[in-house]
Amino acid sequence: MFKKTHVLLTLVLLVIFSLAGNVLPGQHQAAAKEKHNKTLVMGTSADYAPYEYIDTAKGNKIIGFDVDVARHIADKLGYNLVIKDMDFNGLVPALDAKRVDFVMAGMTPNAERKKKVDFSNTYYKAKQLIVTNDPKIKKIEDLKGKAIGVQLGSIQEKEAKKIADKVDNVTIEKRNKVPDLVQEIMSKRFNAAVIEDGVAIEYLNKNPDLSSFVIPGSASAGSAVAFQKGSDLTEKFNKEIAAMKKNGELDQYAKKWFEPKTEKKAEKKSIVDFSTIMPSIPYILKGILTTLKFVVVSILLGFVLGTILALFKISKVNVLRWGADAYTSIFRGTPLILQLLIIYNATPQLTGYKIEPFLAGVLTFGLNSAAYVSEIIRAGINGVDKGQREASMALGVSYGSMMRQIILPQALKNILPALMNEFITLTKESAIIAVIGTTDIMRRAQIVGADTYRYFEPLITAGIIYYLMVMALTVLGRMLERRMSRGD
Amino acid sequence: MIKIENLHKTFGKNEVLKGISTEIGQGEVVAVIGPSGSGKSTFLRCINMLEEPTEGKILFKDQEVTTQASKIQQIRKKIGMVFQHFHLFPHMTVLDNLTYAPVTVNKMPKREAEAAARELLKRVGLEDKEGEYPGRLSGGQKQRVAIARALAMNPEVMLFDEPTSALDPEMVKEVLDVMKSLAQSGMTMAIVTHEMGFAKEVADRVLFLDGGILVEDAVPAKFFAQPKSERAQAFLEKVL
Ligand SMILES: Nc1ncnc2c1ncn2[C@@H]1O[C@H](COP(=O)(O)OP(=O)(O)O)[C@@H](O)[C@H]1O
Ligand SMILES: [Mg+2]
Repeated sequence: MFKKTHVLLTLVLLVIFSLAGNVLPGQHQAAAKEKHNKTLVMGTSADYAPYEYIDTAKGNKIIGFDVDVARHIADKLGYNLVIKDMDFNGLVPALDAKRVDFVMAGMTPNAERKKKVDFSNTYYKAKQLIVTNDPKIKKIEDLKGKAIGVQLGSIQEKEAKKIADKVDNVTIEKRNKVPDLVQEIMSKRFNAAVIEDGVAIEYLNKNPDLSSFVIPGSASAGSAVAFQKGSDLTEKFNKEIAAMKKNGELDQYAKKWFEPKTEKKAEKKSIVDFSTIMPSIPYILKGILTTLKFVVVSILLGFVLGTILALFKISKVNVLRWGADAYTSIFRGTPLILQLLIIYNATPQLTGYKIEPFLAGVLTFGLNSAAYVSEIIRAGINGVDKGQREASMALGVSYGSMMRQIILPQALKNILPALMNEFITLTKESAIIAVIGTTDIMRRAQIVGADTYRYFEPLITAGIIYYLMVMALTVLGRMLERRMSRGD
Repeated sequence: MIKIENLHKTFGKNEVLKGISTEIGQGEVVAVIGPSGSGKSTFLRCINMLEEPTEGKILFKDQEVTTQASKIQQIRKKIGMVFQHFHLFPHMTVLDNLTYAPVTVNKMPKREAEAAARELLKRVGLEDKEGEYPGRLSGGQKQRVAIARALAMNPEVMLFDEPTSALDPEMVKEVLDVMKSLAQSGMTMAIVTHEMGFAKEVADRVLFLDGGILVEDAVPAKFFAQPKSERAQAFLEKVL
């Protein structure tokens, strides 16, 4: 019987390590061909069409205006280009932490950002538009008493504030991403949003209900490339940008990505239409593997660590007991997403180690889950008849063997339902690793939403996948329970 | 075999054993009797250090048990113990219950351990139950498995703490019979029991405990016929 469990455990571990091996390096995208022997890493947030996005129907390559320009410049400078996708708000911290060499994300240089990073000259000047589905909004003054949405921390936020100064009763709502803004307009939570022309074009093309107008005198700071302070890349990029402006290459790229594609002018779509996201479903499904790997590794880490903590909690050594109790108290007493962001963002700041999103996620979830698992296991151990311990001791069995082979197996049987619950919670909560850019099911659903401008369908698809995974776990738990109750 | 000198045990402020001294010789069978709460279990559990004595010495084959915390596992291997409530490992089959300690503690090859275990099961009359889980056995069968489990470690002494008190009356005999044959085979045994008939028949000596004091230490014939102390007389009047 012990042999069987050992073989099983070894197998599970093997699978996990082989899985972990190929998933650890986040989601890099290698250059088309390894032409040069030096590499530049570009940070971007691939949900900002047409600057950078993923055509999820075709695959998982990041494309767009910025990508073309970046590739052109990198090539001229003799570098291969590697693109790292992450949340827009994580881009400047990523530069800080030297996770990326430069950032191109339709980013406008503002004073706040300039404090932290250097910018190139602008390579594209955008105009700011008011985008709305309310036909009565035709000029700034019509926004009186309305809610307007902006992307958090963007230049549009400033623009909206200027409007609010001029027009009465304007409320400004902030969202992390432009697609969210459009979605909020469609669901009538916002009356309008401030969006850059290049970005707005795509939405306007695909959505006959939307109209727009240019904000008069709007700041057109333009997009620029961001670098680490003092980087020698800044000058090199400036030279290439100047050259591209001069010879018209930049205009060509702009034409390719920003000109409205008239043939796409869509007829009104039905409210729910899975056919539009059909081609993108395989893209979402690929997230299952990422989520599974993530969940399995996290559960195992949490379980092993939780067991150790539980043993500390029942130990006679005060320091161990207090330590384990404090640990549990901290991890249960703070939000999971805060723990995730601390581990992901603060690790590079404090140690200089550029922790990968997957590793940061697994660590956070493993450490967090351990706190809960340790409580469950402690209760399980206390629930095992004291006589079992005495019988083992009387036979001369060591503490370690007794715990592993006598006490814990019996404790596990009693706490299996509680453990299964914890694992199910972890599986569902794993969706929050999307915020650090791990392309799990959730993040992929969001990317498809940003690409197709439809939200219900990809989110429902993700929901169904999560539900099926939870059901599978539930069934697995029942089977295990049945197996373990053989002895009764 | 076992020498106990001035054994004291205190739980908090409650002094349960108040200086007990005695000896158990090789091959001797000692019955420990006395009223409930008199410290019989505690006395027995001090011998293999399941309870740590507060004061006094216990020697096992001239080795001091009480000062050798690190060697206690070595000593426990040689001292088998049988509990009132069996404490079999419920997640293991009968056979695994018997082979677990020899394989894990003594590193005995599994096959050898299984052969020995089957031999022991035959001795306690349960050779057909090796694949059963303890949950499916009767109380008497459980206790016989527990005895076999302790014997599987080849102990030099066996401690029994009220081995038949949790059993239905009709199962008491089958367990006592196993113990009797074990006594006849020359095993050194200390038995806490309320089975006076058994004590009279099988024991070489009777220890009578009351209030944590060893009140009487005598051969059964003498003890049961004419106990010296009033306390023992009162006790016997009640149980006989
Ligand atoms: N672990 C313990 N903690 C506190 N008191 C105990 C413990 N074990 C036994 N006692 C007390 O010691 C006394 C003797 O118990 P015990 O040795 O079990 O007596 P007996 O077996 O003769 O009935 C009782 O009063 C009991 O409450
Ligand atoms: Mg007792």
